[in-house]
This record gives sequence, structure tokens and C-alpha cells, in this order.
Amino acid sequence: MAITQFIVNGLLIGALFAGIAVGFALIWGVVDIINLAHGEMVMLGGYVSFWLLNIATGNTNASPTVFLATIPVAIAVLFVVGYALQRTLVQRVIGTDIFLTLLVTFGISIAIQQLAIQAWTANPRSIQTSFADPSLTIAGLTVPKMKLLAFAGAIALTAALYVFLQNTRTGRAIRGVAQNPEAAELVGIDVEHTRAVTFGISSGIAGGIGAFVATILTIDPQMGLIYTLKSFVIVVFGGVGSIPGAMIGGLLLGSVEELTAGLVSSRWTLAVSFTLLIVLLVVKPNGLFGEEADQ
Amino acid sequence: MSESTDATALDTDSDRAVLRTDGVTKRFGGLTAVDDVDVEVHEGEIVGLIGPNGAGKSTLFNCITGTLHADEGRVYLQGQDVTDWPEYKIARAGLGRMFQETRVFGNMSVRKNLLLAAQEGGADVGKLLRRPDDSLLERTNELLEYVDLGGLADTQAGRLSFGQQKLIEFSMALMAEPELLLMDEPAGGINPSMLENLIDYIRTANEDEEATIFLIEHNMDFVMEIADRIYVLAHGERIAAGTPEEIQNDQRVLDAYLGRE
Amino acid sequence: MSTNDSEERSGLLHTILPPNQVDRLFDVCSAHAWKLLLVGVVVGALPPLVGLEQGYLMTVVTEMYLFAILALSWDIIGGQTGYPSFGNMAFFGIGAYTTAILVKDFAVGFPTAMVVAGLVAVVFAIIIGVVVLRLRGHYFAIATLGVLLAAQQVSRNLDITGGASGKILFDVPEGTVFYYLFFGVLVAEVALVYYLSNTRFGFVLNAIRDDEEKATAMGFNTTYYKVVAWMLSALFTGLAGGAFSLFNTFLNPQTAYNGAWNVELIAMALMGGSGTVAGPVIGAFGLHTIIELVESWFVGWQLVVLGSAIIVTVISFPDGVVGTLREYASGMAYYERGGMAATDSDDAEVAADE
Repeated sequence: MAITQFIVNGLLIGALFAGIAVGFALIWGVVDIINLAHGEMVMLGGYVSFWLLNIATGNTNASPTVFLATIPVAIAVLFVVGYALQRTLVQRVIGTDIFLTLLVTFGISIAIQQLAIQAWTANPRSIQTSFADPSLTIAGLTVPKMKLLAFAGAIALTAALYVFLQNTRTGRAIRGVAQNPEAAELVGIDVEHTRAVTFGISSGIAGGIGAFVATILTIDPQMGLIYTLKSFVIVVFGGVGSIPGAMIGGLLLGSVEELTAGLVSSRWTLAVSFTLLIVLLVVKPNGLFGEEADQ
Repeated sequence: MSESTDATALDTDSDRAVLRTDGVTKRFGGLTAVDDVDVEVHEGEIVGLIGPNGAGKSTLFNCITGTLHADEGRVYLQGQDVTDWPEYKIARAGLGRMFQETRVFGNMSVRKNLLLAAQEGGADVGKLLRRPDDSLLERTNELLEYVDLGGLADTQAGRLSFGQQKLIEFSMALMAEPELLLMDEPAGGINPSMLENLIDYIRTANEDEEATIFLIEHNMDFVMEIADRIYVLAHGERIAAGTPEEIQNDQRVLDAYLGRE
Repeated sequence: MSTNDSEERSGLLHTILPPNQVDRLFDVCSAHAWKLLLVGVVVGALPPLVGLEQGYLMTVVTEMYLFAILALSWDIIGGQTGYPSFGNMAFFGIGAYTTAILVKDFAVGFPTAMVVAGLVAVVFAIIIGVVVLRLRGHYFAIATLGVLLAAQQVSRNLDITGGASGKILFDVPEGTVFYYLFFGVLVAEVALVYYLSNTRFGFVLNAIRDDEEKATAMGFNTTYYKVVAWMLSALFTGLAGGAFSLFNTFLNPQTAYNGAWNVELIAMALMGGSGTVAGPVIGAFGLHTIIELVESWFVGWQLVVLGSAIIVTVISFPDGVVGTLREYASGMAYYERGGMAATDSDDAEVAADE
């Protein structure tokens, strides 16, 4: 029984990992860079939500509906941040040495972290959402409502992204640039703008999920790197071009972590993730679902 | 280098074979890129490998150098079975390779490129940890003079023109004193008036340095002039072998190139 | 940028700082490199003898040496071999914890502990390297990042390392000792890297960086060379870490496995000139001084400055100080030495060979 509980916990949180990873994969596929600052978008989204609630209501205890109202704001703010970062900084190093692009995004990551520490101190924060009855009990399993809400939110955002990519003009432009930037340019797509939009969308989704993270875990200025690395593990597992792959990867990673936390100790969850990272890189750099990742 | 004795007896002709492939086959998924190909290159020869695009020439080369491993068949270098050896080991055993797209180490000086290519003492780590000795430096000068590039010894290799880089790559290959030199489209991208020089350089290397050469080439004039013997591949199969005259008059070869197969 | 503009600008630059002179400067430095190093040793050894007192200034200079060691060590694997490690600080932390544990818990003498720290770091480099050095490009970089964070987590979880609170060390040698210690390690490392860069071993590393496939095709077992390069990198980083724990008297996972420092030392190597011997050292001296200054004037903003510095360097000056100078100096060399006419069989034909 306990194991099932762990797995359920894992799936619940795994959806968030997946949602974050999907944005990471999108940037990798379309802009052709590994964005080491992706985790910072999650962090910033959490803080946007946190401070919005603080300013609007004076504290960070909120009803779920009020909280949900901050999500679009978080998404919008991070969209702008992502778009701006791409256009001003990242754009200049696309096509150069891979190492340089990694270093730029790493530099951005550090800069954002440090600014956050300056602005908000290093203390962890969280948002309390008040439900009349905090958990549901289904078939003997405890399912906290907020986690369920977060789960639903992450899935919804991912699904919305998928629909967007398939059915809108911008979505098709994005997919076009991912496949072949030169050809896309030839048919009149503004490749730079599309890349920046992609960066913005990925950051926006990450930010939205970050807001959820603030409610079920805590946020602090230095949490980002771990989410970036988890996204990397998930994307390598699921394949760079694949949204279903990222979803499955995220759910799996969440389950593995929760199982480790439950059966061994929560102190070792990250060590497990990183071991998975190394193992995956050595064994299967092409992922299970996606196209071949660029070496 | 240890002399390994092959289980099956070699006839005297094949004994002089620096390179021998025996039924080499390589598949990629459903496609058979190289199909049961036998070739032999004897000491001191210049042998050409021609065929229409997609005939499997580069794949065969890759199976020989160890970049790929044959699915069936064996590859023998100086009588040793090197079919499954890792690439660097085969190179160390005396197989030199020049690339189609001409690869030199762009950020290093021309001289460094050549010094690097010298394999003597390479396996002996101690030698590597010492500064390059005079005999080595002399040889680099010798080879550079030989291709008329002496003045550029200290220039960054990446700054040289394409044709010059090709000559540097050639010198690097000779620096290693290979038993066999594989050249992938040496005439590719070379100004036609430079081709005569290139033929001279290769011929002289073949005579003076006793370099045995096996080359892939699309430039028919070039191949016909320089090669002692030629193999023809089409659709992965060996369809003809012989002297340049024989090949030029072989109907199967003409058919293959004109698409009648 | 119109051609007129750039021509004017480069014309001006060429007059003030003629490429030929810069080239000669490089030649002179190469010819007298060992003497230059000796001069450096004397200059570096002097300050405490002629009055530099223990305290803030000496600490800053000592830290400068420390970062130079770290940057140069990174450059061995990152700049010379072309495998940029985002997790080299893992060796730093391993070295630091090794000496901290040995000295505090097992009463081992400091010198012995340092030697052990270096060796432990090398052993880890071999174990991790054999797995991780097979990966190319960005996979390698991120794998090393994972290693760094994993090492941090492990330290946080174990008791022997003091968990999250770390270890405090008392009874440490005085500042002057550390000044000479870090300086000594730096000199040793510079000498070694310089020596190796002129041997074929060094050439092979550079070859791996420039074109690993070609290096393999030429007969080099590249895995072997990469691992050795990483072992060297780990050795000096581990030694530096080993000295650091006592220097700092305090050690915790955050300090020992400092991701920001890892970025800092990469930035130093890059800004000074990656792939050269002097570059990382110059970069370390320069950037560390700047960061210290920023820290005294605008407390807390130094890492923002760092992030910005990285971005500027990467975008505008990826070759760093030494690299850009060298490019500038050798710009004309090709043409002066004959250029395309150098293949002098028949000038007109060859000159047309593009």
C-alpha cells in the first residue's frame, strides 16, 4: 500500500517536472541550445506569484481561485523575460561553439540567481492555499488537493502547448524552424522572432509551473539549477523532439524520486537523479521516443 | 608489429598484399551498402577505387579503417586480421587515411600538425613527453619542401587555402610512414591546373617513400593516369577489376556509369 | 559596419599597435619563457619578504593565486583538450573535504593530508572520467555539472563530512604559509603546463580539441589522453582544494562545491585566453581583482558583474586577451610568408586556387 502511495505522489509531482521539461526540450529543438537558465524561469514564476499575492492580499495565504488568478500573470511575465533574453543575449551566440552557448546561459542563470538573492534574500518562501478539506482520500490513498490541482495545471499547460504547436500558425512556424531553419526562412518565416517566441513560451510555461511549485514545495533563489538538470534527464530519456516522451519521462522521474524518498530517505533523491543522468547519457543519448539529439 | 599467421594458407601473391579484404559486407538496416567485396592492394602499387555515387566506396573504406566494422567478411592488413580492431589501433598498425573534406588541425601551426602525425615513439609515452627531437624536425622540413610549402611551417594550418591544406594533409600522412595510405577523393576541389602537380607529388611519394596507395576518386582522368590497377564498385558489389585500359573498355563499367544496370 | 569604417579603425590600431611588434613580443616571450617564469617566481616571492603583512591584502593575493590554479587546471581539460567541464569544482571539494577530515578527525599532518587530497582527487578523476569522457560536447558539460551537484548532495548527507553544517577547522597555519603554498602550486602548474604544451603529448590534446575523429584516425587512443588530461586537471584542483579548507578554516557543501566558482574560473580562463598557458593566469589575476573591487564598493553585486562579464566575453571576445592578441599578431603572417603563392610550382595557377 505504501508503495502505491509513493507512486501516486511521484506521478503528481512528475507532471510538474514534465511540464518544465517540455519547455526545455522545445528550446533545445527550436533554438538549438541547451538553456541552463531554464530552472531560473521556474523560480521567477514562483516569486511572481508569491509577490503578487503578497501585494494584492497582504499575505501569502490564499484561496485556490485567487492563487489560480496569478498563474496567467506569471506566464505572461516570464514570456516577456524569456523573449527578451533570447533577443538580446542568446541570439548573439547561436551557431557558435556549443560551449559558448552553454556558458552564456549558465552566466544568465548565475546572474539571475544573484539578483534574486539581492532582491528577496536567500530564505525559502511558499504559498499557502486554503482548502476546506486539504486532501482527498481515494482508494485508501491520500491525495492532497493542491497537488492534484498542480498536477492538473501542469497537464493542462502541456496539453495547451501541444495543441498550440499543432494547430496555430505560430505553432507551425515553430515546428518549421525546429526542422530546418534555412527552409523556414525561405518560406518567409521570421526565424529570429520565432526563436524568441519559443523561448518566451517555454519560459512562460516554466513560470506558470513555478507558481504551482511555490504552493506544494518551497521556492528559493537557488532552486533553479536542479530543475534544469532534471529537465535534462527527462529530455535525454524521452527524446529531444518528443512531448509524449517528456511527459512519460517526467512521470517516471517523479515516481523514482518519491520511491527513493519513501523507501530509502529523502536525502538521497537528488543523488539518484544525477546517477540516472549519467547512466542515461552513457547508455542512450538518443532518447526512447525522439529524433536523434544533436551531438 | 607482431606477425600473426593466418589460419588459411595464403598463396604467394596474396603474401605481398598489404591490404586484403575477403567478402566484406556491410548493411545499414535494410540497405546493403557493401556486398561481398574482395580487393587486394600489393606493396608499391597505386590502386584506384571507382564507381557511381552511392556505390559503397566510402563505406568500404570505413570498414577497412575501423570507423565501421564489417558485418561479414574479413579485412587483412599485412596478413593480420584487423576486421574488429578499433580505429586507432589500425592506424597505429600502419594504415594512413586522408579525408574527403581535408581535415587538418586548424588551430595549430603546420609544423605541429606534421610533428603530431609522426607516429614513431607514439606508443612509448616517454617519447611523447619529450620535446620533438631534431630528426623529427628535419623530416617535417623535408616533407614541407617536398610539397613546396616550406615557408608556411609556422603558420596556422587553418589559414591555408584548401589546396594547400590538402597538401599538408598529404604530408601528414607521409610523416607517419604508413604501410598503406587510403586517400578519399584526393583530386576533389582542386584547381585543374594544380592536378598535374598533385599527380606528381603522389607518384613521387609512391616511388621515393615507397608508399602503397589505395584511393577513391571520381575524376576519371586523374585515376586513369595515376593508378596501376582499378576496382569498380556499383550498388555495393565489385563489378570489375583490372588495369586502366581494361576498365575503360569494360562494358559492365560503362553500363554502371550510364545507369543501365 | 561599412568597410570604410573598419578600415579606418584597423588602420589606426595597426599604427598604434603594429601586428608585427605584437608578433615579435610573442616570439620573445616564447624564446625566453623559462627565464620569464623565473622572474615571475622572484616577483611573486618578494612581497611578504619586503613587508606585505598578513591580513586583507595578503588574503586577496593568495586567493588570486588560488583562482589562477583553478583556472589553469580547468583549461587543461577545457581549453587544451576541448572538453569543457562545468563540474571541476567537484575535485576542489573532494580535496577540501579530504584534508578537512584527515586533519581534524584523524590528526594527520597538513602536508601529508594535502598529498592525499591530490591523490584522492586523481582517483576520482579516473573513475568518473572513464565514464564521462566518452561523451561529447554539451553532454559532457552537463554530465560534469551533474557530478558536481551529486558530490554536493553526498557531502550534505554524510556524517563524516559534517552534513549541511560542514566542518570548522582550528589550529591552522598562518597566512604567509598559504601565500607561499598557493604560489608554489601555481608555479609548479604553470611550469608543467608550459612544458607539456611543447611536447607531442600537448599536441595530441590540442588535436583532440580541434578534430577528435581525425586524431583517432591518426592512431591516437583519445580516451587515454583525455583521462590523463583530466587527471592533471583534478590533481591541481584537488591540491588547491586541499589547502583551501585550512585556509578558509570553514567548509560546507555550498562552499566546497561552489557552482558559481566553477563559472568564475571558466570565465577567467576564457577572458585571459583559453588554450594558452598565460591566458588563464592573466584572466584569473584580472577578474579576481575586479571582483574584489566590486565587492568592496557594491557589496553583493560581484556575481552579477561576473555573469555580465561572461556574457560580454562570450559574445564579443571568445578568444580572450592572449588569444585575441595572437590572432591580431599573426593576421599578416600568412601573407608575408607567401600566402597562396607559397606553393610555388606555377604562381598564376596556384594563386587562382581558391
